[in-house]
Amino acid sequence: MIFSLILGFILLIIGLYGMLTQKNLIKIVIGFSIVDTGTHIIIVSIGYLRGKTAPIIDNAVDLANAAKQVVDPIPSALVLTAIVIGLAVTALMLSFIIKLYHKNRSLSISDYQELKW
Amino acid sequence: MVNPIYILILSLVIGFLLTIIDKAGRKLSLFFLYGVLSFNVAVMFIWFYQFAFVGRASLMIHTAGFIAPISINLKLGLLEAFVLLLANLAGLMSAMFLFKKLKETHISGLILYLVLIMGVNGLVMTRDLFNMFVFIEILSISTYALISIDENKRSFSAGFKYMIAGGITSTFFLLGIIFIYYFTGNLNLDTVLGNSSMLAMKTGVFSIFLLIVSIFIELKPFPANGWALDVYQAVNSGITSVIAVVNSAAILFVFYKILPLLPDQYLMVFVGAGIVTFLFSNLIGIKQTDPKRLLGYSSIAQMGLVVAAISYTTKLNISQDLVFIMAGGIFINHFLAKAGLFWITGIIKRSEIKDWGILRNNTPLLLLFGVLLFALAGLPPFPGFWAKWEMAKIFVSNNLYVGLAAVLIGSLFEAFYLFRWFGYAIKNERKEESLKPVDFSQLFPVAVFVLITLLTSVWIMIRVYAFDLINFLPVAAVFGMYLLNFLKAKLKAVLAIIVVILYGYSIYPLETALQSLFGIIFVIGSGIMIITTMNRKGKISGFYGFLLMMILSMGNLIIAKSFLSFFLNWEFMTIAAYLLILRGKKGQVPALTFITFSLAGAYLMLAGFGFMPNVLSSNAIINTIGSIEIPLAAMILLLLGFLIKSASFGLHIWIPGAYAEAEDDVTPFFASIFSKTGIFGLLLVAISFIKHSSEFNPFYWLGWLGAISAIVGAFLATFQEDVKKLMAYSSMSQLGYIIASVSLLSHLGWISALYLTLNHFMFKAMIFVAIAGVIHRTGTRQMYKMGGLIKKMPISYITVLIGIIAVSGVPPLSGFGSKWLLYSSMLEKGWYLQAGVFFFASGVSFLYLYRMIHTIFLGQLKYEHQNVKEAPIYFLIPQVIFIMGIMAISMFPNLIIKPLNSIVGNYFASTIMIDGYNVTSSLGHWNGNMVMMVTMGVFIVPLVFLILFNGRTQKVKQFNIVFAAERPESPQTTHFAHNMFSHYYKALGGLTKPRIQNFWNSVSEWSNAIAGLFRQIYTGNGQTYLLHILLYIVVLYIFLGV
Repeated sequence: MIFSLILGFILLIIGLYGMLTQKNLIKIVIGFSIVDTGTHIIIVSIGYLRGKTAPIIDNAVDLANAAKQVVDPIPSALVLTAIVIGLAVTALMLSFIIKLYHKNRSLSISDYQELKW
Repeated sequence: MVNPIYILILSLVIGFLLTIIDKAGRKLSLFFLYGVLSFNVAVMFIWFYQFAFVGRASLMIHTAGFIAPISINLKLGLLEAFVLLLANLAGLMSAMFLFKKLKETHISGLILYLVLIMGVNGLVMTRDLFNMFVFIEILSISTYALISIDENKRSFSAGFKYMIAGGITSTFFLLGIIFIYYFTGNLNLDTVLGNSSMLAMKTGVFSIFLLIVSIFIELKPFPANGWALDVYQAVNSGITSVIAVVNSAAILFVFYKILPLLPDQYLMVFVGAGIVTFLFSNLIGIKQTDPKRLLGYSSIAQMGLVVAAISYTTKLNISQDLVFIMAGGIFINHFLAKAGLFWITGIIKRSEIKDWGILRNNTPLLLLFGVLLFALAGLPPFPGFWAKWEMAKIFVSNNLYVGLAAVLIGSLFEAFYLFRWFGYAIKNERKEESLKPVDFSQLFPVAVFVLITLLTSVWIMIRVYAFDLINFLPVAAVFGMYLLNFLKAKLKAVLAIIVVILYGYSIYPLETALQSLFGIIFVIGSGIMIITTMNRKGKISGFYGFLLMMILSMGNLIIAKSFLSFFLNWEFMTIAAYLLILRGKKGQVPALTFITFSLAGAYLMLAGFGFMPNVLSSNAIINTIGSIEIPLAAMILLLLGFLIKSASFGLHIWIPGAYAEAEDDVTPFFASIFSKTGIFGLLLVAISFIKHSSEFNPFYWLGWLGAISAIVGAFLATFQEDVKKLMAYSSMSQLGYIIASVSLLSHLGWISALYLTLNHFMFKAMIFVAIAGVIHRTGTRQMYKMGGLIKKMPISYITVLIGIIAVSGVPPLSGFGSKWLLYSSMLEKGWYLQAGVFFFASGVSFLYLYRMIHTIFLGQLKYEHQNVKEAPIYFLIPQVIFIMGIMAISMFPNLIIKPLNSIVGNYFASTIMIDGYNVTSSLGHWNGNMVMMVTMGVFIVPLVFLILFNGRTQKVKQFNIVFAAERPESPQTTHFAHNMFSHYYKALGGLTKPRIQNFWNSVSEWSNAIAGLFRQIYTGNGQTYLLHILLYIVVLYIFLGV
């Protein structure tokens, strides 16, 4: 669990670094996706319990002791929602980039600074 | 009753179906959209009614057949219903505003709008942390998409910046949620709140911090808010309005919900961050000229203030009513005003505030704009005013002085840029095409919100503070006169006089003679002065309403029973005065200077009143103030506030512009009546001080300030070419005399103060009215362009002559009495040096008085004034009345000395003896009647002699003067009246530098420079904004000090 948690945070930081340093709009969105992925890994690893099985009632799980034999199902459920939302935001960002590119023929974030102060 | 969960269900169902419905035509889809939005409003209205008036308990809604914390639950209580009623109403109104846009745009626009509003409803009601995240994302994604409703580059780039910022903050929000889940094993807010001890360790606090800070960043704290400003500026006004108020309201409510998770000791960080946001956003706002970005700065500032108010009240755990007035007041004020103003920017579509003169082409819209702007500036009677009042009290009682100062300075900046905008809208001349007729669908939402603003204000005044009806009169007068706008000016003037008489009758009899004295000045004086305005022709819209507002609020000052009522009417008076100055032809800049100084004074007073105990008395505050001890800090703050109104030295730079540029028949109100409110205020403080004197005596220094005002004002008046500016500085000088004699805090001193007050009221009124008549006839204010008008305007000449005799203090008129009293009281007190200064100032005042009467009335008549006639009768009537007043108190000083003696006798033991016409002080005696007789005799004897033996004189005519050799370019400049006292000017040397003017100019320049410096952080680059957010979180965490 600790290992994947650390991995998640590393990804989060790599993603943020990418978002802050890359000038290309697409690369910024890729950075955002990495942040998202890191977050999702953190969420899943929080629910993980060593030596437990998936939270599905089947042969591997004894119905009476189910709660003690499975990992926490809630983070898994949450992460699904988070992934879907992350997908939607990423898609929307990309569609904005397409529109911006059509208007301005540029993918550099430095070319979109006319609104300021 | 409809279960509110149907709002969510119906929105989703209709949202999905809209793509199909749209096949049957856009009309049907619009019908469904407005149907659902109206349904939301109706449901929330019913629930709000149930909670607020029927007293129903909060509603808990469980989902999926389980009870919380197993399932997600929603809560609808009074607060939720209140916020959602407003939010849904704003949603409906904004959709109406966007009617045309929604008719043309792709159907996805309608769906997104519906989903956005659904997200808001869900966000406010849900009690589940993860569900909050989901609703925030629903809200955000639909907002991002709606930002592109106007498909232009600016909105796309603003939207992209918003998405980067929003995406990262919601990631942090999610991390916060998941760690809270990790530590508590729960996602239900109420359960987590119940188990908050499980989060008491460092990591627990950190996860709460992540949760709260990411919501806080969605509320755009300074400086991590560059993205939001771009959105406000670039996006369609209808959508901006939704983002600024509806989204913000929902996010704010989330902040309010989750804030109790954070242990109390950390809350101050958010109070501080909120106040910093308020101060700096408003500071930067003063550099802004794009109205939408301007409103953006204001929105951010207001949100910061609400966050501060919520965090502070949560920390203090104070009573719910106060929370409602303070946090709720700022919130609702911002909500209504901001939505309305953003809509108006969408109607006007001018991206420079300088171009807003076009708004004048549409009077109803201008009025709506005005109401919303005044509301946003936090002026009474709007909710923001009461919120700031309570805030000042709470901050002072908890020693949060720095916070209070920051809030008040920020408010001043905000008022400055709002009123500058208002000034452009009212005054800037635009000769371009007239405004297109405004669609009803766009005007209606604004009108509805203005109406709600007004109703809320009235509700607060009646239900929360239980004000007497008389406090509503100033505002009622404005509305009344607006309804009677179709009448001719003369009729309106008569009506105004009747209103003033009725008002005077209704407050009569007053409890004390001191009140009566000021009643005579404020009410009767104003009534007489209205006659002057009867010379106006046409309808004169928007004049008598404000004039009455000023008069009635001045009257209300005398009878105010609480500090709040006093301050309320003080602010009413300021607003009315501002609008009256703004009416002047070149009134824009002077009015802005006036309102900035006045509001600065008002905020000082607000802080001062924050120190005062609540007074519950059925007597007027001026009568009960003696029993209240004013703390020293409050006294100094209040005195400064009052000194600004009486244009004391250092705070006087608003006075020449305001007096000179106000319309000629309005200036007498300012100079002779309005300026006395400052004196009334000084007396208010002084009466408390004499009963509770302290070690440090601020009045000693005030005495010096009065002396300096007198001498500086006199010199400034001496060097003016403009007759109204001359009189303005003369007022400053004369008020210096009054301030000093009030500061004497002695029996004779106060008699002289009140005597001077009454005297100044009369002679300043008559001189200004006479001058108004002269300006009316000659069409100029430059004195060197006049001359020899004695024959053309004899009555005006006599008025001015009597006036200046009364000013200068030579026998026999009342001015002599006032000078005698002044010097006697000064010497009695041992203020020899001050008396010397006043003596010198009186000498200087001869210079300007001589200049005025000589250059206007004596000397040669100008060619272009050959056909000038005496001033119109309406100007003469008040003059004659005041001449009679001056003559009466000069002939029979007892008329006034005796009452004054008895008034002052309430505060000091009497030190004078009155025997017949003889007034005896410890230093000597004065018989006004005898002085009058002697002087008359001295005057008449030579007069008779001259009439009898004066055959040999020859009159000097225009053509007796011959230019040597050549005729100068502009002959006036060779007139000796031009630059008359230049030799004195030279003699003063370095003293003539406009130091005070320079000081205030540099204050303004520095503010602008600092604002310019700070706004450099908004580089326009989305990555920089992201960096700001990350750094902000780190810095805030360090301040948290876990």
